Amino acid sequence: MKQVKIFLDESEMPRQWYNILADLPTPMSPPLHPGTGQPVGPDDLAPVFPMNLIEQEVSTERWIDIPEEVLDVYTLWRPSPLYRARGLEKLLDAPVKIYYKNEGVSPPGSHKPNTAVAQAYYNKAFGIKRLSTETGAGQWGSALSMACQMFGLECRVFMVKVSYEQKPFRGLMMKVWGANCIPSPSDKTQAGRSVLAESPDSPGSLGIAISEAIEDAVGDPDARYSLGSVLNHVLLHQTIIGLEAQKQLEKIGVYPDIVLGCAGGGSNFAGLCLPFVRDKIHGKDLTVIAVEPTSCPTMTRGPFAYDFGDKAQTTPLLAMHTLGHDFVPAPIHAGGLRYHGMAPIVSHLAKEKIIECQAYDQLRTFEAGIKWAQTEGFIPAPETNHAIAAVIQEAVKAKEEGKEKTILFNWSGHGIIDLAAYDAYLSGALQHYEMSDEELARALKAIEGLPKP
Amino acid sequence: MPDREAEPDAYRIRCPKLGGEVTFAYCRWEQGELPCSRVILCWQTHFPVQAYLKDRLSDDEWDSCFNTPPRDKMTTLLELIEAAKQRKDTAS
Repeated sequence: MKQVKIFLDESEMPRQWYNILADLPTPMSPPLHPGTGQPVGPDDLAPVFPMNLIEQEVSTERWIDIPEEVLDVYTLWRPSPLYRARGLEKLLDAPVKIYYKNEGVSPPGSHKPNTAVAQAYYNKAFGIKRLSTETGAGQWGSALSMACQMFGLECRVFMVKVSYEQKPFRGLMMKVWGANCIPSPSDKTQAGRSVLAESPDSPGSLGIAISEAIEDAVGDPDARYSLGSVLNHVLLHQTIIGLEAQKQLEKIGVYPDIVLGCAGGGSNFAGLCLPFVRDKIHGKDLTVIAVEPTSCPTMTRGPFAYDFGDKAQTTPLLAMHTLGHDFVPAPIHAGGLRYHGMAPIVSHLAKEKIIECQAYDQLRTFEAGIKWAQTEGFIPAPETNHAIAAVIQEAVKAKEEGKEKTILFNWSGHGIIDLAAYDAYLSGALQHYEMSDEELARALKAIEGLPKP
Repeated sequence: MPDREAEPDAYRIRCPKLGGEVTFAYCRWEQGELPCSRVILCWQTHFPVQAYLKDRLSDDEWDSCFNTPPRDKMTTLLELIEAAKQRKDTAS
């Protein structure tokens, strides 16, 4: 019998989170207040975050102690097991060893509670009685609901109405954990009432839900707002994933050549990868890849070339399957890593070329997820499928190059509550539009003369 | 191959922001009167969305949606805090 899982004892769980701000070769620009143009200060954030979390948001200390109370809750599912994906390795028949951190073992089934638990604790310690947040699909909302229950906090979740109606089980999970899950837009806030007055049947949006959650917290001294991705302190709390993985790999004498994770808002990617990015900054030969969603048809039909990230050709050249930089308008083309929802730390690492970025079409990611489920058993969350697609791509590349590689990735969550997404894929509801040869030729003309990798 | 120019509003896709399936109609009105800023990135393989929107948006709307630099999350948060404070002040 070959070893599949590598465990850590609870006593071996990391006692500190890792803060990459201490090791960045170039400092990040401080965020500026849009009203004053001055660097954002603690008082600007105080209406929505407790001061102990604001201190973490701006901290440049390399290591930050994990409070005992947080460790006590983490032990419900941490340390999470490190797996070797022997079934997928066999299917791919490539010279690769594939390891993954299984974050689907947490009670809500994803990596999200790593920060939800920490945020609930710090709010409780600051004297806060209620947290407010927004959620799209419900992964974050359910994680925060559980965390608030663990620390005796009230929790109010504004869930985008279209998701609330589509995903009743997520809402039910929140209720089981004692939270109040409210479809947004709602009549609970002025922001929601304004939308409903204009459009009573509004399906909502993430923007509206955020407005409602913030309004719900602002002005109530007993309430604060909580965010599940993007911000520095959120990424900090997630680094326990990568720190555990380093200890587990050390136990078997393995160090990865490639580390990757999917990057929506950045927390799942950062959680696994930032401790390894530290190694890279200090000289390790390592490729770190952030994987994001796109629907670029050139994954299958276009050439693999270097492309500019924007129309003005001012951003670094990115190697990608490409249709050329003027195929779509500038703010859109580069996708999530330039879209406002991406973590500034991840964007900064990409800009400094410390990490690479890849984008995968949703159909390709579901193909990858199905392959995974059929070889490894676990059904991945649709977001996790992006990372799996990248793992498969890297394995194929290793085979073509005849190089042995060890790949580590973050299996960020299971997809048991997202089976409707698999149904949409399997029933053919999600389809490709086949570009005509003329459309393809016109688009590819834009990358003539660009260097090829 | 379906006639994808005819009624695109009913087409479905997985939204990377929401983490669930939505129709094109949702993406088209995601910002109230304006489409989601990711709409072309997400839909370009499904039908000629760029041409479709060019025909339906004014130049100002197009620029507002696609040619305005995206704001970072912190900026968005601070703006939302200020807006929420103002709404609370007005209400009281």
